[in-house]
Amino acid sequence: MSPEATDFLYPFIEGDEQDTRSLLADLEASARVKSEESLRLAEVTLEEYGDLLDTVAEALAARSRRGGVLFTFGNGGSATDAQRIAGLFAGPPVGLAVAARCLVEDPAVLTALSNDVGFDLVFSRQLIAHGSSGDTALGLSTSGDSANLLQAFEEARRRGLLTIAVVGGGGGRCATSPDVDHCLVVRSGSVHRIQEVQAEVVLDLWTRVQRCLGVSP
Amino acid sequence: MPSAATTEAVPATELAVAALALARRFAAGATLWCVAPQWPDHARHVAVEFVHPVVVGTRALPAVAVDRPEALAALRASVRAGDALIAIAPAADPVVSDLARRAPAWGVETFWVGGGPRPGAGAADHVLWSAEDDPLLAHSSRFVVAYHVLWEMTHVCFEHPGLLTSPAPACREDGCITCSDEGRLAEVLTVDDHDVALVRTADGEEGVDVSLVTPVASGDLVLVHAGTALTRVASEGADS
Repeated sequence: MSPEATDFLYPFIEGDEQDTRSLLADLEASARVKSEESLRLAEVTLEEYGDLLDTVAEALAARSRRGGVLFTFGNGGSATDAQRIAGLFAGPPVGLAVAARCLVEDPAVLTALSNDVGFDLVFSRQLIAHGSSGDTALGLSTSGDSANLLQAFEEARRRGLLTIAVVGGGGGRCATSPDVDHCLVVRSGSVHRIQEVQAEVVLDLWTRVQRCLGVSP
Repeated sequence: MPSAATTEAVPATELAVAALALARRFAAGATLWCVAPQWPDHARHVAVEFVHPVVVGTRALPAVAVDRPEALAALRASVRAGDALIAIAPAADPVVSDLARRAPAWGVETFWVGGGPRPGAGAADHVLWSAEDDPLLAHSSRFVVAYHVLWEMTHVCFEHPGLLTSPAPACREDGCITCSDEGRLAEVLTVDDHDVALVRTADGEEGVDVSLVTPVASGDLVLVHAGTALTRVASEGADS
């Protein structure tokens, strides 16, 4: 919410404000608005990408069946989301486990690469070590512009991996990168709403992969 | 599985109260400790949210993810009175239940995000719960929305400096906590041979007579009043 639009609600906007009721009422309303926004954006995004998610799920499942590994990566909050996604695929609470690993897990590897070759190469160098043609690279970014994602997709493409970008905003450079096979864009300007909907998109993808593998979680 | 069409709204009323409480803690110098034993990535997401805010112009705030198995020992050593603890965990999580039970003795305010069966009444200061009971809930957006909204609203509260100081507890006619019959939660640090224990409470460390509750050991929780431990507080599993 914008402070300018709501200032009039608070007669004591300065330091002498003492009654919390109007603030709490406004926060509560704001929480509902944000939550509704998130849900609506998820609906719109899943509707837009329903067919594409089926295609991606089939490709991912086919690779998993042949022993391919799903590698996930991202920066900041997206790094934590990438960790959770690898955890979901490799150790789901229901359904079939498939091989998946997150490239932000190991501080020794992250700091060694960042220190020696630079942060832009922190994921691509790991794909050189681990990735092969049957694998899949899934990168998350709210902007779609992260240099280390683009480098990773370039390396992944070179090595024959399937490449999936889950991004936000207008899709950024990932949306036009020739190294990205499938780009799923959560069309929002809010980093928070983008991350929330990315979680729903990937959970939906996971469910479709499970169905391709013959499981209905 | 959770789907956008069937989702209920976030616990908006509780989130509003929690955001103001958290903003007050930060304003007074708190660190926010983040734990999620089953999903450590959620704890890290909360911490990075506060430390490296994505919205330009918002303050960087001290938040730390504790994702080691020995979270209890790490937190006991690190938390200070006035801090806050946020957990993302199911109600049955034994580590979080234990931390939330000890937090009052450390002077720490607790925020518990989760879904499915709710924690018992009073399990945490703020219970931010989703009614859905689904094994995939932690992988949906539900908890992320809750802590994102908490972060956003905590920063809104900073625009209201007049509301950021908690009213100080004062002696009223019916007595304040210190002079009333109310017991304070304490965690036993050490016990000597004469039934005197050094305990930790929200007000600091003090020596208390434990002869009424003996034997007690380091880590036990007791209720203290007027320099005496009156009763032992049941530990995890004993009270269910």
